[in-house]
Amino acid sequence: MAINVSKGDCFHCGLPNLEDDKYPVTILHKTHNMCCPGCQAVASAIVENGLESYYEFRTEPATKGDSALDNTMNKLAVYDEPELQEEFVFENGKHKQIQLTVEGITCAACGWLIEKQLAKVVGVKQVSVNVGARRAMIAWNDKEIKLSGLLKQLKTIGYESLPFQADKHEASFQSEQKSYLKKLGLAGLMTMQVMMLAMAQYFDLFGDIDAESTRYFNWISLVLTTPVVLYSGSVFYLSALKATMARTINMDISVTVAIFSTYIAGFITVNQVDAEVYFESICMFVFFLLISRYLEQRTRHKANQISSNMLKHIPVTAYKWINGELTSVLAKQLQVNDLVLVKAGEIIPVDGEITEGHATIDESMLTGEFESVDKQQGAYVYGGTINQLGVITIKVTKTLKYAMVNQILRLQETAMANKPKVALLADRLSRHFSIIVLAFTAFTYGFWYFQDSPHAFWIAISVLVATCPCALGLATPSALTCAMAKLNKGGILLKRADALEQLTDISDIVFDKTGTLTYGEFSIQKVWVADGSQKDALLSIATALEMRSEHPIAKAFSKLEIDIKHQCISNFKVSIGNGISGNINGHVYQLGSANFIGINNENPFINELNDASIILAKDDCVVAAFWLADKIKNDVADVLKTLSGYETSILSGDNEKNVRDVALKLGIGKTYAQRTPLQKLDTIKTLQHQGKKVLMLGDGINDAPVLAAADVSVAVGNASDLAKNAADVILLNAQLDSLALVLRMAKRARRKIKQNMVWAIGYNVLVLPLAMAGFLTPWMAALGMSISSIIVVYNSTRLLRD
Amino acid sequence: MSIIYVLIPLAIVIVGIAVSIFFWAVRSNQFDDLDRQGYSILFDDDIKHKDVDTNEQKEKINKTDETK
Repeated sequence: MAINVSKGDCFHCGLPNLEDDKYPVTILHKTHNMCCPGCQAVASAIVENGLESYYEFRTEPATKGDSALDNTMNKLAVYDEPELQEEFVFENGKHKQIQLTVEGITCAACGWLIEKQLAKVVGVKQVSVNVGARRAMIAWNDKEIKLSGLLKQLKTIGYESLPFQADKHEASFQSEQKSYLKKLGLAGLMTMQVMMLAMAQYFDLFGDIDAESTRYFNWISLVLTTPVVLYSGSVFYLSALKATMARTINMDISVTVAIFSTYIAGFITVNQVDAEVYFESICMFVFFLLISRYLEQRTRHKANQISSNMLKHIPVTAYKWINGELTSVLAKQLQVNDLVLVKAGEIIPVDGEITEGHATIDESMLTGEFESVDKQQGAYVYGGTINQLGVITIKVTKTLKYAMVNQILRLQETAMANKPKVALLADRLSRHFSIIVLAFTAFTYGFWYFQDSPHAFWIAISVLVATCPCALGLATPSALTCAMAKLNKGGILLKRADALEQLTDISDIVFDKTGTLTYGEFSIQKVWVADGSQKDALLSIATALEMRSEHPIAKAFSKLEIDIKHQCISNFKVSIGNGISGNINGHVYQLGSANFIGINNENPFINELNDASIILAKDDCVVAAFWLADKIKNDVADVLKTLSGYETSILSGDNEKNVRDVALKLGIGKTYAQRTPLQKLDTIKTLQHQGKKVLMLGDGINDAPVLAAADVSVAVGNASDLAKNAADVILLNAQLDSLALVLRMAKRARRKIKQNMVWAIGYNVLVLPLAMAGFLTPWMAALGMSISSIIVVYNSTRLLRD
Repeated sequence: MSIIYVLIPLAIVIVGIAVSIFFWAVRSNQFDDLDRQGYSILFDDDIKHKDVDTNEQKEKINKTDETK
């Protein structure tokens, strides 16, 4: 049952263990090695609390432990603020109740672990974990334990949990799903019973059953069918009623007519000896139709849960100056003109103007560009961006509600609401189909009635049942559900199943650049050294210097994995926006821009240094230079080759030159550079006005509005939560080859849907003359309809293979 | 054949019970998470820490919590 962690890997998280036996933990009388203090702490906490069975039964390794545990723990205290809690904590009598999204749930054993751990805590009244949705519901007594205490308990066993912004429709989805399940279950159970009684009569070939027994069977069937008609079928009547009120016609009208007329006719004739009752047909009919509705509803509910898990409540705190003293407050409490101090490494709480100091600011969450920006006194900074270096005081210019991030969020919401609606194939078809069916039924009834046939009514019912668009109704949802399940296994999440159908109509594919086509971080493209023999030593010195820096450039050097242990740096200094310097082995080294080093036209290496990103100088003498650039992801070129049938373009916030470079390398024709989120949105809308169907790929918060507006949108691995929330498709890994897979699957699903429809309609067309001619009795019609539905479902499940 | 006059109503009663149990299960969220509950039986809750009273355990946890 349990998984086997291979030797040399961390026992807790299953990642390679590079530290050998530095972090051992004894689990179930055996010593296991962990890879980091984080995993060690989590594993020890699990063992200490007597929850070792987790390791026996888990089916997936855990997520990696957080090494900076104590640090994160302290930040949790902010969740105890009543002002923050009012949004997501519910008072339930004496207790408080909360829903948390829990990150790091990998298998069913995690659910057990969390429930056990929390159940032991004094003050906790109820815990229930939903592994599928990755959520936990906790009820607790606020006098005995605080919310932050609960979050801490979860954190000690390795789960990050946060309150989230529950979707408005979620509660109604949930109750709707439950009622569907009840109706479906009831219909299923009753169908079995009624069918049993009906079968006895079908196979009564020799007429052995006496009239009394037959009447008895019919009465029982009537009793059993009544709840199915009145309760299970109510979905269809309501929908039919809504359609008639809106003066349109849908499938449910013919369904309603068929159910009620069969039921009432059976009810009237149940006492007669030659009664024509078709209760089993009604039950089966309702049951099969409900299955397709339930499937459809469930996929939508799941998608809804995924997207609302992504909107986590992460409150931002700020240090506010009050009468010359710093006080910690929530960002949403800040007013215009308040003065706020932001230290290095902190998130800037709201939009404001720098009044003191200067800093390097990472604005990637707004612009999508990882290259940080230097800001001086008087410059504007935006809430949600990160202060990488320097201490600044800012004057608040907008309260949190009107901050840039929330504006983007609103932009996204309106874009989502205005998304072009597509009439799906099945909806369009079934509408025409219903009209035709109703017309044919009326005609048939009229014809036989004037022929004075005693069977006119039953023939008309047979027509309704035989042509019931049940298989047609199943054609799309069953194919889409199967395609979704298949894609899920490949690490692709679909939030909207019908996105697959729309994917096949796409004409244009628009890519965001940074983070989507490229890795979104610097890497070293070229190194030049004055003295070739010194290359390794100089690289090591440059890496050692960069290791001390927070700048994104430093990451490019840390990827080199050069041993820097013997480099002893003293007198390390950072000049914001210019470079860094330090003393190593008695020499002064400077690393930074050409200006910082002081390169002028007389420098002997001026030709070699052309365009170098950073230069290394030793005692004022240039010794090396590095060219840095964002690297294009490995598989992008291959993926783009498979997309030759589409018009591709890049839509980026980055400057013209960088965008052109990438476009040239990848052979992408059109580029749109330096676009703000609003301009990006306009670009997409212009394309859509030209009648193009746009597929957008992006990852940043700045992409969220465009992702919401595009006909179909894909958030690429490691995308920001907001982008994931706006997108229809989420790729869980950072590679783009999943895109080709999605497109291929969309085509296959479309083909399946068409096959299903051809079959469903073909069957109906074939059976219609038979029914109209009166050759079919309702039970044959119901049986035929069911078999047709089963064939459609089986055809769809073939998508799950290969 | 008169036995069917007893057996069929009996069957209906049983089906009625089955339906009400099913409704109760749906209402008490048992169909919300189909992955999780199947595992519950695998875990032994009563074997570990025989010597430690559950109350003592609770105190212990709360103490460690306070020290943090």
